[in-house]
Amino acid sequence: MSMSFSEKVIQKCIVAFLIILSVIALIPLLSVLSVSFSSRVPVELNQVTIWPKGFTLDSWKYVLDRPDLWRSFGVTAIATIVGTILSLLITALLAYPLTKKEFTIGKVVMLAAVITMVFKAPLIPYFLTMKNIGLYDNPLVLVIPHILTAYNLIIMRTFFLEFPSELEEAAVVEGAGYFRLLFKIVLPLSKAVLATLGLFYAVTIWNQFQHPLMFIQNPDWYPLQIKIRQFITSDNELQIVGNMSQLNYSARTLRAVTIVFAIVPILMIYPYLQKYFTKGAMLGSVKG
Amino acid sequence: MQATGRFYQHARKCWPLYLMALPGLVFLIVLRYIPLGGSIIAFQDYSLFKGIADSPWVGFKHFKILFDSPDFYRIFANTLILGFLKVVVIFPVPLILALMINEVRAVLLKKGIQTALYIPHFLSWVIIAGIAFDMFSLNGIFNTVRDWFGYAPNLIMQDERYFRWIYVFTSIWREAGWGTIIYLAAISAMDPQIYESATIDGASRMKQIRHITLPLLLPTALVLFLINLGSFLDLGFDQVFTLLTPMTYSVGDIIDTYVYRSGIQEARYSFATAVGLFQAIIGFVLVYVFNRISKKVTGGGLW
Repeated sequence: MSMSFSEKVIQKCIVAFLIILSVIALIPLLSVLSVSFSSRVPVELNQVTIWPKGFTLDSWKYVLDRPDLWRSFGVTAIATIVGTILSLLITALLAYPLTKKEFTIGKVVMLAAVITMVFKAPLIPYFLTMKNIGLYDNPLVLVIPHILTAYNLIIMRTFFLEFPSELEEAAVVEGAGYFRLLFKIVLPLSKAVLATLGLFYAVTIWNQFQHPLMFIQNPDWYPLQIKIRQFITSDNELQIVGNMSQLNYSARTLRAVTIVFAIVPILMIYPYLQKYFTKGAMLGSVKG
Repeated sequence: MQATGRFYQHARKCWPLYLMALPGLVFLIVLRYIPLGGSIIAFQDYSLFKGIADSPWVGFKHFKILFDSPDFYRIFANTLILGFLKVVVIFPVPLILALMINEVRAVLLKKGIQTALYIPHFLSWVIIAGIAFDMFSLNGIFNTVRDWFGYAPNLIMQDERYFRWIYVFTSIWREAGWGTIIYLAAISAMDPQIYESATIDGASRMKQIRHITLPLLLPTALVLFLINLGSFLDLGFDQVFTLLTPMTYSVGDIIDTYVYRSGIQEARYSFATAVGLFQAIIGFVLVYVFNRISKKVTGGGLW
């Protein structure tokens, strides 16, 4: 190490700054977590910052007893699982022909897909089209709009293009058709790209807000994000219950619980998210 | 006859490829291209019952209404100001962060810092707005800390003076850490020999950053910057909508939220389509122009 003294000082400062920044980035999460485990009175007396005061599980018990929250959780979980599988399937089914010369309309299709990245239809004609094909207030709307993005299509096609063609050629000699090639040879060896894109799709569907906001009217089909939003802004029961001063929780502690509730599943798969998303971000940057 | 013969041969061999592509193609046509064509209702008085075929044509009526309404200029200005903040204030943060993270030598510490900074990227805007409203509430952590220093509580989420900074800070919190990935990847792809010879020549770390790392990152940064400029008006519906309150409409209402309110909630379909079309055209011109510039400057563009 040939660093001078002042260099070392600067570097130490940078490291210290980044550590402080990381702590600051985590404070919002710690804050809401602490509120969710705190009692009503310390929260209202401004005593809770990043550590629970008057530790209690009462807010959690109340929220976890709300059947509508669990229903929304289930709706979102099913939409995420079904949507991710369907997305990967349809993306792969379109990406694979695009790697074949004999697929004569390939260039046109590729162009048509790329154009959708630049030309986005205005919201209202999109809304009306979706309504016309019967997706208004239909739970399928949580899945169908997300099953294909040009960006993911390009990533998958690029991955397929780098696939060693000898493997496929050997199978063709044995009489395998295109479907068999795709499902028995190409896809089993594409786990890395499937994991990356699968997580892209899964996070998109899990976090989606605008589509259900526009299309879902029936509270039975509210996904988690809409439910959380309702808890935060306009849930009547929460207001009434939270204002009963003999209880150990308030509207604010209950809201904090719902927020943490929605974050937990994301944090549970976070190591995978970080690993594969980083890969995906780099795959995308090759193009960019 | 030979041509049809070849066609049948091609069809017999390749039909599975077309069958495979079918669902994706149907998706692109129905969900991407038909709505694009449906934009013509901006020139109609569209009614749900009459449909596109029977609704009366009214030319540029809705655009005139739009350009005559004082609301429009306020909303357009809000959109431009947030877009400007996005490009000028938010955009450089990941680059600076990446340069700093690159100075951390301890592997574990570096991983820890990256993990902490990446997490918010995976949280939905509903959650992020929920956390923001909680932190800045009357008894939230922000006002609690103010209280320690004897300051009166300040409800900044409900104050129009702060909305734009809330937008900036939530954007940075969610995306800045994540945005470093591309830069860090570009840094790690650099030739270590350059640094070695620079060290031998006696160049200090700071000089190396200024004269080697930064210039090498510039092409990446430039492309990202141009993409950013091209999506100037794309401010993120979820983010603005979830952070807005009636008290902050005057500064936070943007084209996206205005289209949602007038089109979906008030069912003024043709008018809202005209607004959306106006935004789409400006957006396209921006992408086109900056793509041309990008091609000239860096030799590579979006397409």
